[in-house]
Amino acid sequence: MNNVNLNEDQQDCLQEIINVAMGQASDQLARYLDTFVYLKVPSIEQVSAQHLSDTLKYEAQSVAVVSQGFFGYEGIRGEALLMYQPKDSDRLADLLGYEPDELSVEEQIIDLSSILTTTFLNVFASQIDNQMSYSAPRLLFSSNADNNTSSQSSISEHIQHNSFNWDTALKVKISYQVTDYSFNCDMILLIPESAIINITSVIDRILEEY
Amino acid sequence: MSLSVLICDDSNMARKQVLRILPESLSENVQLATNGVEALEILNNQPIDVLFLDLTMPIVDGVGVLQGIKEAGISVNVFVISADIQPEMQNKVLELGAKAFLRKPVQLDVLTTHLKQHDII
Repeated sequence: MNNVNLNEDQQDCLQEIINVAMGQASDQLARYLDTFVYLKVPSIEQVSAQHLSDTLKYEAQSVAVVSQGFFGYEGIRGEALLMYQPKDSDRLADLLGYEPDELSVEEQIIDLSSILTTTFLNVFASQIDNQMSYSAPRLLFSSNADNNTSSQSSISEHIQHNSFNWDTALKVKISYQVTDYSFNCDMILLIPESAIINITSVIDRILEEY
Repeated sequence: MSLSVLICDDSNMARKQVLRILPESLSENVQLATNGVEALEILNNQPIDVLFLDLTMPIVDGVGVLQGIKEAGISVNVFVISADIQPEMQNKVLELGAKAFLRKPVQLDVLTTHLKQHDII
């Protein structure tokens, strides 16, 4: 793994920027679902390609996974994965409050993912004086079928097919927990090696103000 | 006489954000805590006039601190400064006794307004 580790101050600064973005995204989610979202402290870790692959296999024990790329100025970019783990997928349709046949469950999941990802990343970007563009959200896997093996390979292949160098990645995991519905959604941001260096430069500029 | 202040946040940067916008009358006697356990230990052992409190923290979170303050009957002016801006959370901390909810990142004019509104400065 190349040496792009964040030092303690850089990690703290990034975590605080993520906290603010997470708070606003959770507020959007709470309004969308008309419920309360319980927040945990987000985790940030640097992972190697092998660890990333193993992690994604583990994380893919989900009902649905939506992926959306993001691209900002100054070489800041990455991939956001939204992983849904409700107890059963039918419940998700009820939770989202659409009429039967109004939208497919898959379309509803993509809608929700897009709101969460863009709200989070727009707030994240505004704090670092940046602006994000997004690729179309893509449903990698939806679990009407019980096929975890195919979901794992689908995510891994998707990540590998991106033009990023994933030898090393910064992995940010944020858990949104809607307690009264037993509904969990994890947002995983994967930031490739080259973008970590660019984010570090931006963070250093912010830290200079303190 | 300067007021005693406690800033409780797990983020060093967030603590500094509050520190650097404190009015002079609040900046002479400031203590820092990085989680709810540390904050409650300080609050249980010495009088604190003003507590600036984050919510999303490891070990004991801000809601836990507010509950601890209430259970122990500690007298302190609590200003919650948090990124968890959901209306339900804002109502919850006010019900637990916080004077005000301020959203992160807190700005000088917002902090000053709330401190004046509650006769702290």
